[in-house]
Amino acid sequence: MAKKKECIAMLLAGGQGSRLGALTKSVAKPAVSFGGKYRIIDFSLSNCANSHIDTVGVLTQYRPLRLNAYLGNGHAWDMSGRDGGVFILPPYATESGAEWYKGTADAIFQNLDFIDLYDPGYVLILSGDHIYRMDYQDMLRNHKENNADVSVSVMQVPWEEASRFGILTADDEGRILKFSEKPKNPDSNLASMGIYIFSKEVLKKALIEDSTDPESEHDFGNNIIPKLLGEQKRLFTYEFKGFWKDVGTFGSYHQTNMELLDENPEFNIFDPDQPILSNVNTRPPQYLGPNAKVHTSIVADGARILGSVEHSVMSPDTFVGEGAVVTDSVILPGARIEEGAKVTRAILGENAVIVKNAVFGSADESVPIAVLGNEKVYGEGGAN
Amino acid sequence: MDKAIGIINANYDTPDLKELINGRTAASVPFGGRYRMIDFALSNMVNADITSVGIITPYKYRSLLDHVGAGSEWNLDRKNGGLFVLPGSVFGISSPGSRFLLRDFRRNMVFLSRAQAQYVVITTANVIANMDYSALIEQHEKSGADVTMATITATEADKDLMGVELEAGKVKSTFRGVKPGDEAFIDCFVVTYSLLLKVLEWYSAIDYLDFFEVLAGDYDKMDVRTYKVTGYVHSVYTADNYFKRNMDLLDPCVVDELFRDERPVLTKITDTAPTRYAETASAKNSLIPAGCMVDGTVENSVLFRGVKVKKGAIVRNSIIMQSCTIGENAVIENVIIDRSNVIAPGTVMKGAADSVLIMAKNELGK
Repeated sequence: MAKKKECIAMLLAGGQGSRLGALTKSVAKPAVSFGGKYRIIDFSLSNCANSHIDTVGVLTQYRPLRLNAYLGNGHAWDMSGRDGGVFILPPYATESGAEWYKGTADAIFQNLDFIDLYDPGYVLILSGDHIYRMDYQDMLRNHKENNADVSVSVMQVPWEEASRFGILTADDEGRILKFSEKPKNPDSNLASMGIYIFSKEVLKKALIEDSTDPESEHDFGNNIIPKLLGEQKRLFTYEFKGFWKDVGTFGSYHQTNMELLDENPEFNIFDPDQPILSNVNTRPPQYLGPNAKVHTSIVADGARILGSVEHSVMSPDTFVGEGAVVTDSVILPGARIEEGAKVTRAILGENAVIVKNAVFGSADESVPIAVLGNEKVYGEGGAN
Repeated sequence: MDKAIGIINANYDTPDLKELINGRTAASVPFGGRYRMIDFALSNMVNADITSVGIITPYKYRSLLDHVGAGSEWNLDRKNGGLFVLPGSVFGISSPGSRFLLRDFRRNMVFLSRAQAQYVVITTANVIANMDYSALIEQHEKSGADVTMATITATEADKDLMGVELEAGKVKSTFRGVKPGDEAFIDCFVVTYSLLLKVLEWYSAIDYLDFFEVLAGDYDKMDVRTYKVTGYVHSVYTADNYFKRNMDLLDPCVVDELFRDERPVLTKITDTAPTRYAETASAKNSLIPAGCMVDGTVENSVLFRGVKVKKGAIVRNSIIMQSCTIGENAVIENVIIDRSNVIAPGTVMKGAADSVLIMAKNELGK
């Protein structure tokens, strides 16, 4: 029996992130590089570490190998202690057979034994593909003060966009009255962020009942929350104020990276008090050549820049040859821009190559962001 | 039984490193933007699959232990073998300049006798090289030698090393005062385990001597050979050499040779954000690690983590160590600024190209 925990986290990392297709052909979305040296899952895991949650189950399904290797035993997030850690939870077989995770709720249902190992009072459900900083302890405090069964983290969205989100309607005390998925005529602008704290027994009972419901899609937002509302359980909102982004499309992925370059970025990765932890290889410092020009950019270790980099995010081991110009772009680990090449408003996947003198992307803002997939070569001799 | 165990001796006097060893050991002097001197020896050990490594520490060991910790960055936090921190003796009284005092080994007989192996690789912590120790061990094993000393062909920069005279492929004598072209010992050798134990026993009464001092009388009886190392190999025992070896890293070929993927140089990891270059930044021919904020000008320089170069500041031909801030419009040329110093706006500090200024570390700075 493991040591009893007050709260453990279950992090849903099985999604394909299909709208980021070229970047997720071989890796799950949570393992996609972001912000120069991070992977998307670093933000949720760092939030756990900074919130003193030291036991995290990571539910994986789609192309988990790179993600598994990246997570290791959780040491990089200070979670490999004797009593906690990061545990990778793929679907597994039992005496009654084997099944894939059929939905977010089913993924947790299939791992109820894992939760029971730690016998926590509370279970924090997270998704591994959001960029934000949150103190989960504060949310837990709020949950306890409300004597809640479930707390749902919400944030205000512009009214005109509310119909794109799962919207929660709450009373003055924050008690949730109604959940509407993408409502046509929203009566609230509080959008669910897909972050939940459940009191464990409530979660367990709901998941067991849901598992035998043939009508259910086994989804937290669409099934579990409405079911518990119907049962008059105590569901409360926890209002989050701050930066939160789902980088689910190339446009939002590119834009969110570009925002890191603002003089006073809304999301400050440089804040030393709440560091974002990551599992990085030891790479030598970046080298800027005799003719290098680097402005308004962030650059990670192992990068070698001989040409010009303007307003861009350069990941580890990227290369910019002599005379090459990179502008308004996000360059993922190991990507190479050979001499004389020009890259504008683009995302280059891991180890992608822009060959000598090739031109990729356009400054024309009416054109979508140019994307070159992981390992792809663009330009003379290489196919897009 | 392990084929080889390793000992990194960090217990020797290096007065010529001047202010750089204020409050730290020569082994833990920062190097190359994010490393410490000892990272090379320690990484060379683990890259040769040596999994029991003892570090003989000198008196001022705080920064060294802070850096190596339990050895986890080098995968040395193991059940079987691992990293062993060994106490060194007080140095510098009878044998100034000595790097392998017998009593440092004798005092740590417990480590030697528990970690049984066929061979012992012994090195100082101040050799900047990505060396394949397994090739050194292999040659030692094939030749049947008792001791194999790693050597280079000396250059002007290698005057501090000990020269080696060979006769019919075996070492016949050693000398001080190395000239360019001489074969010089780089303070790294492999010795057959059983022989090391015998030497320590034979000379137990005079263990204030250096291993190579006692060997000097035995070159006719013992089989001592050399293993010639080529490529980038430099020892750093002086501040002048320290500056030049850091500047060598502004040649990408040197970086590629030292920090190669198949034999990575490992170091303590700290989580810092990538480096941010502002619109006003100008950085050329420089080595800059993550965690810096560059708003001013940096040329021909090596920065370390957490350095801030403010708007209008100019850093040229300099080494700026961890967590320093160069204030607005300050001008820094030919200077080594050790860690945690804050340079006030408008300050001008200039050393000469052949004689750099050193500003000691701000001991209690963050």
